[in-house]
Amino acid sequence: MNARPVLSHMLPVLGTGIALAAVPLFVRESGYVLRIATFLLMLATYAVGFNLLFGHTRQLFLCIGVLAGTGAYGSVLLVRNAGLNPVAAIAVAVAIATGLGAFLSYVGVRRGFGVLFVGIVTLAVSLIFQNLVLGLRKYTNGETGIVTQGLGVGLAENPVQAYYILLAVLVAALAVYQEIMGSRHGLALHALSDDEVSAELSGIDVARYKVGVAALAAGFISLVGALFADWNGFISPSLFSVGHVDIPVLIVLLLGGMRTLLGPVVGAIVFTIVDAIVRPFGQLTVLAYGVLLVALFLVFREGTVTLLQRGWEMVQSSTQRGQVGRGVAADEDGDPLSQRTNSRAKSPY
Amino acid sequence: MSIVIDGLVLGLQLALLSVGMVFVYGLGGILNLAHGEVAVAGGLIAALLLQGGRPPVVACSAGVIASGALAWFIDRTLLRPAYSRHGEERLILALILTLGTSFALDGFFTYRYPNVALTLRLPTTSVDLFGITVRTASLAVGGLALTTFGVLLGFLKSTMLGKAIRCIIQNEAGALLCGVDVDRVRTFTLFLSGLLAGLAAIAQGFFSYLGPDMGAEFTILALIVAVVGGVRSLTGTFLASLLLGLVNTTMSYWVGTYLTWIALLAVTVTTLLVRPQGLLAYWP
Repeated sequence: MNARPVLSHMLPVLGTGIALAAVPLFVRESGYVLRIATFLLMLATYAVGFNLLFGHTRQLFLCIGVLAGTGAYGSVLLVRNAGLNPVAAIAVAVAIATGLGAFLSYVGVRRGFGVLFVGIVTLAVSLIFQNLVLGLRKYTNGETGIVTQGLGVGLAENPVQAYYILLAVLVAALAVYQEIMGSRHGLALHALSDDEVSAELSGIDVARYKVGVAALAAGFISLVGALFADWNGFISPSLFSVGHVDIPVLIVLLLGGMRTLLGPVVGAIVFTIVDAIVRPFGQLTVLAYGVLLVALFLVFREGTVTLLQRGWEMVQSSTQRGQVGRGVAADEDGDPLSQRTNSRAKSPY
Repeated sequence: MSIVIDGLVLGLQLALLSVGMVFVYGLGGILNLAHGEVAVAGGLIAALLLQGGRPPVVACSAGVIASGALAWFIDRTLLRPAYSRHGEERLILALILTLGTSFALDGFFTYRYPNVALTLRLPTTSVDLFGITVRTASLAVGGLALTTFGVLLGFLKSTMLGKAIRCIIQNEAGALLCGVDVDRVRTFTLFLSGLLAGLAAIAQGFFSYLGPDMGAEFTILALIVAVVGGVRSLTGTFLASLLLGLVNTTMSYWVGTYLTWIALLAVTVTTLLVRPQGLLAYWP
């Protein structure tokens, strides 16, 4: 393993970055396509965070929208009402959201919540956030929303620059993900997603890993949220609702493949294409999301990336055995459910 | 005083809604996030039949049965793969599948029937009862709910099928060993939960109106009640419903809707934090 060059495991990250960096060159004339592409980057970054949370540490956070919304509302309100400069405001908002993510995770870990309870608590948090934003009309304008023009770093005025900044965030998220997965921490995460009790027994601090991962994910998600607020020029609570953020992110991750490096990116691309097709039909998007979710979870739970990988491995298997360690983006077993079949006796609840 | 009565009746309606969800969860380890949509489906069918000139009783009965049938259909088709798994796997699979179903149904309803709403008007709006003015709608819903619960309790206590249901809630494997056809009983329970959800939708029609977009709200209300009330007993759910109904009505009256929602959700989260095991955590 050590014979590999130090940076070779970053090649897929770099490749993705370079490929996506070329997009604005092709669509320069069309602002609409660039907008969709920028949104795709955000979706992919959310999904990287959600992948860490749900894929690797089995924390079903149904409050991605809240974390992003905290970044967005936090940064906007700090500039508008507290007079902070935009960059500092974004930093503070991200710090707050990171704390929130870590806190939610900590509570879940401390109380020994299973997937279901974490899901319910975070869903409740999402609804509380919605009602809070709606209720605090004085600061947030309720459903009317806030026009963020002139309150941010000016992403709305420079779409191409915005694209590259968000691409940088995505690449950073992917790089951090890849670096973690290649290190001993990655091994620990694999162990604890397999069986938490066994991981704990072999000396892995499960609580610390879960909380740390939640904080990291929340940081990236809220940073994207804050940049979204600036880029979109307008924020309202419904933009950060479960239906608008969490469900698409869940679909993206399932489409692309859980516990893979590129799953979020591939998923976001496929999702964006599907979304562009159904968008003209208005309410039908919701229907499409639902059908997609069901269909994906029933027949396509492994995701595109795992599927491609398996095909590739089959091609290669005649020449060499499956590689382990750095450079292999995905778990050999991409199916989050099948690998738990042997640990039925365990009950973390 | 009439606020208290309204609150209690709202609680009864909540109970109708959430008992089904609690049953299904207790029985199959499945949290049915499409529960609210099942209710809305029944309500919409009743509304469509009413528009078509059918008598209200026929329309409502048809709606309730349609809700049951939809729940039965979901059980027979979508939840099959979930039942073949156990414990946490089953839970996650069912959670995502029903979440997807609820979105699909919600999208379909709001797209296809955006302007259909169920409203049931009674001939008189309010009557005087022991010096308190009570809306006839409240009386109707209260009567409907109490009768339903009476029948339900009798069914669970004295029929073989009812005993089988309680048996599975206690211990799925044990029930199987005793010769209970777990699969069929589970399907029946989903059908039952659908019927109850349909009734809750009709009750909503009595109060104000039932629109195609109310499924998510219903699901969340049922979820809140389920969490606060716990899963083991009908009484827990029942009491939680009444309590939350009261809190909801009085708080909406005094402090407004947003704060009420926040309070309800805060109660939920607090319950989970303080007594998670005693409330919803029953593990098959």
